This record gives sequence, C-alpha cells and structure tokens, in this order.
Amino acid sequence: MDNANIWLMIIGVSVASFTPRIFPVALFSRYEFPAVVKKWLSFVAPAVLGGLTALSVFAPQGRIDFSVQNIYFWAFLPTFIAAVKFKSLFVTLLVGIVTMAFLNNFLGF
Amino acid sequence: MTVQNSEIRQGIKEAFPIVLGYLPLGLTFGVLAKDAGMSAAQATMMSALCFSGAGQYIAIGIMQAGGGIVTIVLANVLVNLRYLLFSASTVPYLKDRVQPLAASLLSYGLTDETYAVAVNRYRKQPATASYMAGLNLTSHLGWIGSTLIGAFLGSFITNTDRLGLGFALPAMYICLLVLMIKRRADLWVAFFTAAACLGIGYLFPATMSNLSNIIIATILGATLGVLINGQR
Repeated sequence: MDNANIWLMIIGVSVASFTPRIFPVALFSRYEFPAVVKKWLSFVAPAVLGGLTALSVFAPQGRIDFSVQNIYFWAFLPTFIAAVKFKSLFVTLLVGIVTMAFLNNFLGF
Repeated sequence: MTVQNSEIRQGIKEAFPIVLGYLPLGLTFGVLAKDAGMSAAQATMMSALCFSGAGQYIAIGIMQAGGGIVTIVLANVLVNLRYLLFSASTVPYLKDRVQPLAASLLSYGLTDETYAVAVNRYRKQPATASYMAGLNLTSHLGWIGSTLIGAFLGSFITNTDRLGLGFALPAMYICLLVLMIKRRADLWVAFFTAAACLGIGYLFPATMSNLSNIIIATILGATLGVLINGQR
C-alpha cells in the first residue's frame, strides 16, 4: 500500500471508529428513552464485561483455548479472588500483573 | 460548561490503570505498523484518529495479507459496531448532565475500557464533562504515546511478556465486572453473556475476528436481564 493510500485508509478507519461512538450520544441526548429501553441498556455494561472477561481469559490469542496450558486462565484465578475480596482496581491489577509476570518468568509457560 | 478541577483529576486518576494496560498494546501496534510499511507519523496519527485497538490491529493484518482499503474499512465498521450499544447505554447517564455537544465530542474517546470505568462511576456519581475529559483524554494520550514509542523504538523492544503487562487489561475487566454486579440479575447477565460469547466464538470462529460474537451475546444478555429483572 503506498503512502497516499495509507493516509486514505487511516481516514476511512477513523470514520468507521468515531461514527458509532458519537452518533448515539449526539442523536439521543435530547430524547427520553422508554423505561424498558433504559432497563435494557442498564444491562449492556455487565453483559459486555462478562463477554470481554471471558474472551480475554479463554481466548487471549484470538482463538478459544480451554487447555491447561492457557496461562491466562491460571492468572485469572488469583486475580478474580483479589477482585472479590478487595474490590479495588489497583490491588486487582497488581495481583494480575505480578501473577502473570511470575507465570511467564518462572514456570516455563 | 464549567470546568471542575476535582472531576478532571478524578478522571485522570481512573485512567491510570487503562494507560498501563494500553502500554504494551500501543507499543506493539507501533512496532507492527512500522513492519507493515507505515511511517512513525502514520502509526501515531492512526492511534490519534482511530483509537481502536482491535480495529488498528486488524488493519495491519489486512495490509500484510495484501488486502485493500475497502476490506480494512469494512472490517472496522463491523468491529466498531459494538460502540453503538456502548454509546447508547451511556445516554441515560449523560442526559441533562453533560451538554450534548460536549458529550458527543468526548465520546470520541469511548473504548471498551473507558466505557467500563465510566459506567462504574456513573452508577455512583453523576456524570460530568470534566470527568469524561480527564478519563478519555488521558487514556487516548496513553494510547498515542505508547504507539509513538513503539514506532520509534521498534526493534529495541523485545518482549513485554516478562513484565506481566499482558494481563493488565484482563485484570481490569475482571475487577470492573466484579464491581458492576449490583443486582442478582447482573450476575446472570454477565455469566450468560460470557458463556454465549465463547459458545458463539467456538461454533462460528469467524465471529471472533470481527468481535460480532460480543455484539450478539450482549444483545441476548441484556434481553435476558430485562426478562428476569422484570418478573420480580
């Protein structure tokens, strides 16, 4: 891909990126959603996080991996316990990163 | 619109874990973009204009496979479709609190991570433009900065795996998920969506590459939430 085409590609991708982020807020900010729609939307965040967590743990390389060699699953366990126990983003992140560094460096994964 | 310093600071503070998680991803993107034939300026501008981890990685992949602009843009339309849902679900929190123009412009910085952190806060505290600016702009700068470093240092960066930073984003999702579970129905919705996401991805592997499994699973999960929550 030549230089001009790369710039064109970047502009195309940016339009595809910001349109779905901005438009719902721009269009609906003056509009009151019906109660049932609001309720539905209130479940989007827990749903998305459930999905993202599952994918980041069980498909870290973009393919689903339920094997015992999946290091992300082993790092998930202490991290999840830390999250439930401390309910702190900082502590959870620390436990997750340290666990992952430990698995990567010492356990030969 | 009044600028509230404490809200900006709060947003910046809450962006730190996000920046930490973006660091290895942005560095790697910078390195890969250079490999795929982009200049450091192009890689950095792409991170500034697109701010889409999955979308940018896909663009690089298609470029290296010899694909064209149309393929890349279409793949990005699919990958970014989930933000329609995310963005719409922030509307009830932003309405009457953040001016529509400011809310729309600041939503440029909506990502999986800024969305999850922000909704967690909006459930406890009213949304403000200052908080949104602090959170989204800091995260965005982290993404741009790490891309720039990756594009320049390219070959010097060998392996960030050893630092364990690869688990920063999963750890963040895990914690935000735990914090997000307030109603009994939230737990069922999260669990169901997680299973549906993996199930759809397993049965139809093509959905994994454009993240359409997340969109389908989220729509099903939120609908389940309304059904079980409405009965009580």
